[in-house]
Amino acid sequence: MTALEAGLLGQTLLLVLAVAAALLTPTRRRSRISGTICTLLAAAGIITGAIALSGGTGSLSIPTALPLDPLVLSPDRLGGLVMMVVSSVGVLASLFGIGSARVASASRTAWLSMAVFLFGMQLVPAATDVVSFLLFWEIMTLGSTALLLAHHATRGTVASALVWYSAMSQLSFFFVLAGFAMLAGLAGGTGFDRLATVDPYSWQASAAFLLLLLGFGGKAELVPLHVWVPRVLPEAPGHVAAAMSGAMVNIGVYGALLVFVRILPSGPAWWGVLIMALGGVSALYGILQASVASNLKVLLAYSTTENMGLVFLGLGASVLLRADNATAAADAALVAALLLMLSHAAFKSTLFLGAGAVARAAGEMNLDRLGGLGSRMPWTAAAFGAAAMGAAALPVTSGFVAEWMLLQALIHGSRVDGEVVSVAASVAMPLAVAVIALTAGLALLTFVKAYGIAFLARPRSQEAKQAREVPVIMRIPLVLGALLVIVLGLLPGPLAVAIGSAVGPELTPDVRTIGLAGVDARGIDAVLDPTTFVMLAGLLLVPVLIVLFVSARRHPTRISPLPWAGGGSRLRPRMQYTATSYAEPLVRVFDDVLRPSRDVEVTHVGESRYLVERVHVEQSVSDVVETRLYRPVLNLMQQFGILARRAQNGSIHRYLSYSFVALLVVLIVVSL
Amino acid sequence: MFTTIYPQLIGLCTGTLLLTSALMVWRHSLLASIRLLSVQGFALAALVAVIGLEEGEIEVILVSVLVLLVKGVALPWVLARETHATTRTDEAPRLNPTAALLTVALLTILSYVVASRLLAGETSISAHAAPIGLAMVLIGFLLLVTRRQAGSQLIGFLVLDNGIATVAFLTSGGVPLFLELGISLDVLLVVVILYVFAGRMRNKFGNTEIDQLRKLHD
Repeated sequence: MTALEAGLLGQTLLLVLAVAAALLTPTRRRSRISGTICTLLAAAGIITGAIALSGGTGSLSIPTALPLDPLVLSPDRLGGLVMMVVSSVGVLASLFGIGSARVASASRTAWLSMAVFLFGMQLVPAATDVVSFLLFWEIMTLGSTALLLAHHATRGTVASALVWYSAMSQLSFFFVLAGFAMLAGLAGGTGFDRLATVDPYSWQASAAFLLLLLGFGGKAELVPLHVWVPRVLPEAPGHVAAAMSGAMVNIGVYGALLVFVRILPSGPAWWGVLIMALGGVSALYGILQASVASNLKVLLAYSTTENMGLVFLGLGASVLLRADNATAAADAALVAALLLMLSHAAFKSTLFLGAGAVARAAGEMNLDRLGGLGSRMPWTAAAFGAAAMGAAALPVTSGFVAEWMLLQALIHGSRVDGEVVSVAASVAMPLAVAVIALTAGLALLTFVKAYGIAFLARPRSQEAKQAREVPVIMRIPLVLGALLVIVLGLLPGPLAVAIGSAVGPELTPDVRTIGLAGVDARGIDAVLDPTTFVMLAGLLLVPVLIVLFVSARRHPTRISPLPWAGGGSRLRPRMQYTATSYAEPLVRVFDDVLRPSRDVEVTHVGESRYLVERVHVEQSVSDVVETRLYRPVLNLMQQFGILARRAQNGSIHRYLSYSFVALLVVLIVVSL
Repeated sequence: MFTTIYPQLIGLCTGTLLLTSALMVWRHSLLASIRLLSVQGFALAALVAVIGLEEGEIEVILVSVLVLLVKGVALPWVLARETHATTRTDEAPRLNPTAALLTVALLTILSYVVASRLLAGETSISAHAAPIGLAMVLIGFLLLVTRRQAGSQLIGFLVLDNGIATVAFLTSGGVPLFLELGISLDVLLVVVILYVFAGRMRNKFGNTEIDQLRKLHD
């Protein structure tokens, strides 16, 4: 038995153990025991992934009673990388769950489905054929659904969110199934190596491409299949949301990588254009919605749509450039997409865990009622801050490296040796750069809002005022996640080399380590060395800081009364910026896209027109995709349902008549 | 001597079966229908007995006695007992008698057409009479569809069952004793259960109109 096989078997055994633990342990100790085993399960995933990434081989074959080939699990390097990423998030989420799971999220169902969910996610990248891929995909989906379902007793909104989630995940499963079925029918087998023999220029391959893109896009929360995200993630507890938004979306990306890098790496150029378009629209739409959201979890959920959009943008650019024979830039774009996926997993899981900690401490997710948590929850604030920097793609975080690499690839992509590679590329690349620029700006704004409103200034409600720091067991994953965000940003070189080896052996991105763990993408002449940068910046900053410190000591700050506080110097919490007011200019600028609904209600004092007793302002931004695309379809289905009710009115006579007529029709057909 | 009158006996029995079925569609009174059902049970038993005599098998004769007891005596007795015990309401079917009888004629023709296709190779006398069984199945179904009262529907169900039995006896020369015993007891059980059910309906709604049963309740 090789190490890889042992790793796969170990994960399976740990799943059995986790299920048993969830079922058998008493309520008081359940979270501790089950959480620990879930952590071990995820840790086994990290080890297995690392073995696969470093080139270990081995396979686990599961015979089936179905008339199919046995299911073979054997992760390649790419699968290993994704397994590692997913499992790392799993470790963080499980650790956090030990401390945070209470009542419903500490129930048997919750811990059992958590283990099943993690197991499904970790083994999707190990599949080597369509059937096992879909099997683990469904295990993952069912696990996450049951995990959310565990909370439905406590909150009424969970049920409707779950209906959306189930419908959308089944829709994306259907797309994936149909796409793979088309490819399998064409190739005459279900193994991924057989699918690779399909001619990517045939119309069936293109149809399969469209179906698979929609299916994987749905899992990766891309527009227009993202509608479940802002409903489901706010209902999920922090660690579950972290596992879904930090890890599960990566499975969607892995599916896309599998198809567009492994199985059909030489697709036509329009595939790339389409993926880029989908990614670009998702990125813009996601960050726009995130920037105006005032619920912290909704904000984070939409930000996932944005980041996954960027990942797909990079992936699409890679497909397009490869079709145009700009291999170096294509490889760089691919590496950038994977870097972004990695960094997103790190910062988004930390952010959701931070949101979970805030929810536990303040019991509130509405940014307009938070504030001042920085001094009350210093650990959470620091971790959330580091992760928010990653999400805003600020330097020395992993987010910055990824977006920088993506921009480099796009800027250098449309030309090879000064020649334009193709019309499509020369139009698409500048547009993509513009999209990324706009996205990056809005992301900065969004996360300044998320961090600033929630953690700085003064508390805006009693709950926020009474918030306490979360226990140590919850701080550990927060700090670990934040460290990951920074460390991944400081070591882009080894990371890019690992990613380069993962997408091989057919594709060999020309990246290597330079300087102090810096990255050098030689094909596009791009060099980045954040560690050196940090050290240089430190050297420059030290004298500046000394000067500042000395001058501050010489001139002590004077507290002057605020002129706009009505002469008084006491600042009330209500005088501060809120999330809504901070996003107000944005809402005005993007009024046509967002279409917010505003409701201003003014109560006057007595008969006076000039004295106002209170003003109630309510603003809500609805999801345009949902109201314009899904509502009409749903209404149509409802109409059909009303029609169908006429045929199904519950009368026994009618049902008997149906069978009688059916029998007569059969007899008449027989006698013809 | 028996071989010469055998076709006529078969014709007589099956003719009685078809006639009673048609009469059941025509009559609206529940008690009249139950009497007709009893006659039909006797005719079916006679048919089985004739087939048994022709083939000279004791077992089939025993089956005929069983059919006589269950379909000719027991079932009508159970039905009649329940009906006497309650207020008698006459059936107001969803199809008027003329249209119903016309439909019966059409169904009989259809079953002959179908049987001529299905049993094209068969030359035995009993196989020639098989369409009657099929016609009874269809007529039973028609009763189920058009009658409103639970009791009348039950009669439709029994006619349907008689039709199936007729087809079975005519085409395969009878079924084994144990099988027939099982089927007959099953039917008896179903009838008893349905009658209990109808009684509950009557307690609940005051009548047994099936149309009341439209809504599902927890």
